[in-house]
Amino acid sequence: MAGICCGVVGEGDTPAPLEPTPRPSRRRSLDILPLKYIADMPMPPPEALRKRPKLNLRDCDNAIENCDESTGHKVTKKESKVDYDDDVVSETKNVTVSEVEEESPKFGVTSVCGRRRDMEDSVSVRPCFTQGFHYFGVFDGHGCSHVATMCKERLHEIVNEEIESARENLEWKLTMENGFARMDDEVHRRSQSNQTFTCRCELQTPHCDAVGSTAVVAVVTPDKIVVSNCGDSRAVLCRNGVAIPLSSDHKPDRPDELLRVQSKGGRVIYWDGPRVLGVLAMSRAIGDNYLKPYVISEPEVMVTERTEEDECLILASDGLWDVVSNETACGVVRMCLKAQKPPGSPGSDVAADGSDRACSDASILLTKLALARHSSDNVSVVVVDLRRDQRQSSNYNDVN
Amino acid sequence: MTCPLQLHRFSPATDTSTAIANGVNCPKPAQTAPSTRRLLAKVGLSVTEMVARHHAHAVGPNQCCSFVIQAIDAPVSAVWPVVRRFDNPQAYKHFVKSCHVVAAGGAGGDGGIHVGALREVRVVSGLPAVSSTERLEILDDERHVMSFSVVGGDHRLRNYRSVTTLHGDGSNGGTVVIESYVVDIPAGNTKEETCVFVDTIVRCNLQSLAQMAENMGS
Repeated sequence: MAGICCGVVGEGDTPAPLEPTPRPSRRRSLDILPLKYIADMPMPPPEALRKRPKLNLRDCDNAIENCDESTGHKVTKKESKVDYDDDVVSETKNVTVSEVEEESPKFGVTSVCGRRRDMEDSVSVRPCFTQGFHYFGVFDGHGCSHVATMCKERLHEIVNEEIESARENLEWKLTMENGFARMDDEVHRRSQSNQTFTCRCELQTPHCDAVGSTAVVAVVTPDKIVVSNCGDSRAVLCRNGVAIPLSSDHKPDRPDELLRVQSKGGRVIYWDGPRVLGVLAMSRAIGDNYLKPYVISEPEVMVTERTEEDECLILASDGLWDVVSNETACGVVRMCLKAQKPPGSPGSDVAADGSDRACSDASILLTKLALARHSSDNVSVVVVDLRRDQRQSSNYNDVN
Repeated sequence: MTCPLQLHRFSPATDTSTAIANGVNCPKPAQTAPSTRRLLAKVGLSVTEMVARHHAHAVGPNQCCSFVIQAIDAPVSAVWPVVRRFDNPQAYKHFVKSCHVVAAGGAGGDGGIHVGALREVRVVSGLPAVSSTERLEILDDERHVMSFSVVGGDHRLRNYRSVTTLHGDGSNGGTVVIESYVVDIPAGNTKEETCVFVDTIVRCNLQSLAQMAENMGS
């Protein structure tokens, strides 16, 4: 196990830091905290409550050095506590995994509150959710958690219905757009009904037009990866060591999003960053009815053909991507997968819920890295192993 | 310089244009613009001198002021008990996550809330604000006037003061709510941007208030 972390350090993914850490003792103290303790902090420091702007170059250097120190400490921690990973995995929250079947890809999931006061992220993993397709979704809520929770519980069912109604004429872009539109409608209708919620809104009127969520969804088929994105969570493919973004963040100052908002009569105002009407820091989301038609729920859909060089797929909320680059994330996951036995070989570690030890290690490492770099948000990470072993290839050939 | 409500009834000032233009975003877009104009005229006819004075904010050189009007299909007697709850703004302000009264105001320990009371408001996630410390300035149960000022917190709205008044809309049995405010223009933003931001928040609050009050009646 220690080899995984040693490999990460030895590969030298990150450049040498240019400046010393201003407060080494404070950072070091924070670094050695086990993940679960950080997640359990009931009263984070006041300055941590506000989401930090993206790191500038100097801070980034410090963060990189911090990463090296942090990784070093993790090695020590892992050596002294064998069952540590199990504890961390068991802390996963708002994650639903349906029954695992033989053909499902290996994956790992981490979803932690981090330094935010409340947990408003959700993750949904549905291996074989329909006709041999696999579904992975990350939802980062804002305003409250119930929209993200509804997406976790319902969006895969809606997408399944859309896929089945399309039958042989499956057009992925249209199918996913319909699915997201129906999900948004469902959120809106529910906010106008009298159904009870399992969140603080239950204490108030159920009219909650000011709650929303991002949604980044990947449907993995035998020959395609279909990513649909709405908001500023993100999906990244690692292919032959290269990080390929499969989604583009919907920030209000993205030139085409800025034009779209303005064409609808809205405005993007810089108020602690670019925000639609100065209020919301993303230009697309599920929910947020009070900001329509400026903030829409239409996803951008990207269909990618799978290749033999595909290594892994990473879906995560901006709690990760705000502080970890696509390239660094792919490097971390790649090292974890390399340290693993070939998939399908006897003795490989596959947990009862279908999650894979190497993928879980990767998602945990990425989460720790985000927290070590002072991410100020919930962090949710899904890692999917896309490598094909001989057994899988044989099965696909049989199907054909 | 003052910003009396009456002037906005007759001049095409930026604030009025902003308020009306943003009205397009209301749940009933096809009706809102003309409806807003009718409301302005109607309110103008019925606003008493006393109430109009509450909406006449003294505006400094680096400040802006604006107002939002919301029609509610429910009587004043149903709307006022919600608006006047200084200790429970989250009943209709959905950007408020929690509220704690830290000082009740007034001289005696009668348990009630009086002018001078202070509340600590925590804001929901996703907004460019974390908390707000607010002081109760006016609570007039006879004339249905409620006012608070923002005296601290983690946000960019300095020297914010708002006034909310409720008015019966004549024979229909409904209510017209007027909320006006004055606030400093933050460094780096324009007057128009500041009004767009605050108007969006206030409008969302008043729309929630309308939905809530109308549902209570049904």
